[in-house]
Amino acid sequence: MNNKNKMRKTLRSLMAGAGILGATLTSGVTYADAPEKVGPALKAGQEYMVVANYPNQIHVLDLQTDSLLKTCKVPGAYGPGVLQVAPDKKTVYMLTNHYEDVYGINVDDCSISFHTTFSDRQNSVRTKSLFSMALSPDGKELYVMHNPTKLNRDHYRVQDTYLAVYNTADGKGAKPVRTFPAPRQVTVMATGKDGGLYMAGADIYKMDVKTGKYDVHLPSRNWERPLYVQPDVLNAWPIQTPSKDFTILYTTARFQDEKQDLATADWIYGYLNVDLETGETETTDFGPITEIYFTGMKSPKDPNLVFGVLNRLAKYDVKQQKLIKAAELDHSYYCIAMNHDGSKVYLGGTYDDVAIYDADSMEKLGNIKLPGGDMAISTSQVFIR
Amino acid sequence: MNTIIKSPLALAITAALTTTVLPSYAQEDAVKIVQGKCLACHTEENQAAPQWSRISHQRKTPEGWLMTIGRMQMMHGLQISDDDRATVVKYLADRQGLAPEETSTYRYAMERRLDTMESFEDSQFEEMCARCHSGARVGLQRRPAAEWEHLVHFHLGQWPSTEYQALARDRDWFPIALNEMVPKLSKMFPMDSNSWDQWQSAAKPDFVGQWSFAVHQPGRGDGSGLMTITQQAGDRYSVSMEGTWADGTPLKGSGTAIVYTGFEWRAEIDLGGVITRQVLAASKDGMNLSGRVFEAAHDERGMEFSAAKATTGNHQIVAVYPQNLKAGESTEVTIVGTGLKGRVSLGNGVSVEKVLKRTYNSVTVLAKADANATTSANSVTVGGVNGGQFAVYNKVDSIKVQPAFTIARVGGNGGSTPKVQARFEAEAWGAGADGKPGTEDDIRIGYLPASWHVEPFDEAARADNDVYFAGRMDATSGVFTPGNAGPNPERRMSTNNAGNLKVVASVKDGDQTLQGDGQLIVTVQRWNDAPLP
Repeated sequence: MNNKNKMRKTLRSLMAGAGILGATLTSGVTYADAPEKVGPALKAGQEYMVVANYPNQIHVLDLQTDSLLKTCKVPGAYGPGVLQVAPDKKTVYMLTNHYEDVYGINVDDCSISFHTTFSDRQNSVRTKSLFSMALSPDGKELYVMHNPTKLNRDHYRVQDTYLAVYNTADGKGAKPVRTFPAPRQVTVMATGKDGGLYMAGADIYKMDVKTGKYDVHLPSRNWERPLYVQPDVLNAWPIQTPSKDFTILYTTARFQDEKQDLATADWIYGYLNVDLETGETETTDFGPITEIYFTGMKSPKDPNLVFGVLNRLAKYDVKQQKLIKAAELDHSYYCIAMNHDGSKVYLGGTYDDVAIYDADSMEKLGNIKLPGGDMAISTSQVFIR
Repeated sequence: MNTIIKSPLALAITAALTTTVLPSYAQEDAVKIVQGKCLACHTEENQAAPQWSRISHQRKTPEGWLMTIGRMQMMHGLQISDDDRATVVKYLADRQGLAPEETSTYRYAMERRLDTMESFEDSQFEEMCARCHSGARVGLQRRPAAEWEHLVHFHLGQWPSTEYQALARDRDWFPIALNEMVPKLSKMFPMDSNSWDQWQSAAKPDFVGQWSFAVHQPGRGDGSGLMTITQQAGDRYSVSMEGTWADGTPLKGSGTAIVYTGFEWRAEIDLGGVITRQVLAASKDGMNLSGRVFEAAHDERGMEFSAAKATTGNHQIVAVYPQNLKAGESTEVTIVGTGLKGRVSLGNGVSVEKVLKRTYNSVTVLAKADANATTSANSVTVGGVNGGQFAVYNKVDSIKVQPAFTIARVGGNGGSTPKVQARFEAEAWGAGADGKPGTEDDIRIGYLPASWHVEPFDEAARADNDVYFAGRMDATSGVFTPGNAGPNPERRMSTNNAGNLKVVASVKDGDQTLQGDGQLIVTVQRWNDAPLP
């Protein structure tokens, strides 16, 4: 493709990412009876990556060959493209249609196994979910945070947020089987091995999904770390890591002493972590702030290594709190993923290509070009079938 | 998310306060339109003295009302003709507008001064409101607490990510908005005010007649002339402008205008083939008209406009140009105003050699500065009328680039948004009695011709070669034209042609060349271009 065409195409996808295409509310959903082209089924034991992009589709990448295996189309409009891979490693759940629907897609044949639309149009309640979606360890339940707004005739009333529990077996047209009051501002969620639901908001809460009871499991906004200021936490990417870590980056400052002089404070990057197997928590500084990362993760190979990405891909030695190496990128990438042996880093989000880096040397290994447009803020996930 | 977008409708709305057709604007028609179009959702609270839910409990500028109805069209499916919309905007702006003094702090938003750097003492107001849009958009509304509360619910309901963004995710955004901001806003910008009560019963300015005007446009210079206003019907007027730029080029045009709320003048004038908009305010006594005139298609290309009504008993100076004269040199000086009779004085050190041209509304003289004049900023008088300033100088001591900070925006290249230029002027200063530039007693000499160029603002800008990619500075005019829109594969990380530039003005004064600098951020397109930023 010549540069001019590439520019035009990239411009289009960027504009789409910025919301330039506008919003249309789909009132009814029609499901395609027979997907036009479904590609091969996934093979047991093989490693794959899924990522979503415009116009509204899920791509399966084969990580043995680092190539595009297939593309499944999803009904409705795109965004945000949060993906969660079910424990069966066959169903991929996607939060989409302008934050208002979840589809479960069987990536073997691209069929739709699950669909729910949150909004209750009959009662004029519009409901969105801001990145908050997780599955129970057995894959039987789907958890979605709901942010409802009652659209009265001449005014809106924002309603309390709540957690909605769905039976994934309810298929198309599923409705919540239980709902529980839940705090506002929850972004990403993950379930522990014990079935507890971790919800990252002002703090990281843990909810009993049977009773709806929740407590602060790991404080962030309300942490009590002497000399530290309250952290800032950006998180829109619920990454399912090979190491079963629920990792959330924070930025903060640490004063030198009780005088609390910001001018001499250390500016610090760190992560909050919940081990999803054990529930153990960590609040760990890993280096000084020199640039912003949208996502980061611990290496599946060596938990002392943390990677972060936005305008560069950076690797930190956690114990030494030191940047080991940073790789320049062809463009910004939002969402990080790593393969299970921790040898490769896969960068997605923004534009329409996944970049691959060697986790040891930090050298670029290549790109996988995706059909369609911008990934925007899609969450990419790596899994073994 | 459901972003308001730059749709053709949005573009049309931005331009809609003056239309070339003539809607009726009659009150009874407006009431009928509201009843026919708005009561699908709004409730009629009183039929005899028209009062409707939400609508009747807010006060806004014409731009504010236009945005509200435009939002109803874009988000809520309202179907309304442009004429009907114009009739309702006029009715609401008159009936529920802002008094002149209620707009004074925030006129820059209506005047489309989109590079204004706002600054608010109340950091909570800034973080809760002016984080996403201008604070002016808020400050140009008046509501009771219940309506500010509705606004909070609308914001979070329409844009649920509001409470997740930076400067929101670190606090309990929604409770703060409801429990702290609502009471604060209803105190800062209350529905009921003495100013508004008084303005409603006050005698309103009479626009009909002749106005002596002066304009100043960076990169173009000064001009003046007469603007003649005749009434078409009600608050609609025909306008003709007859004047010249300082270089003798005609400054001539005609168009139409509407007056809202008794003092808000909105005109569309074809000025020598270029469609311009006037966003002006009349003074309460009706003797002055001032604000900004800008090109309809390029609102960054604008001029300062000030005018005095050319009527018996009004004696004023509104502008003097050029602004200065070097010791030992001569120049023509034009004084613009009205009722200008009697001797012209340009202050100490300047002699008025000859009156070259004189009308009731302007005087042009040949002025000569004494060879041994020292730098001073003089008051100007014509007969008994004081006003304006004229500087004489023997030496320029420092140069300030104006504006000291501004933005340009990439555009074009097949995209929907044109390039937004930036314009600069070199302002000369004398050091004053202490001989040190940059101190309190500095004397403003005024604008001088300069030679212009840009440099990298910092190391990052140098490394990314911003000077090459971000655009071109015209060396003579100080007009900066930014680069093409879109990712540029030639740039590091295929980034846009954005840049961080130091804008340098070089001014020759005798044997010395002085430099001053400012900062220009070349940034991306403004996609969401509402009538109030």
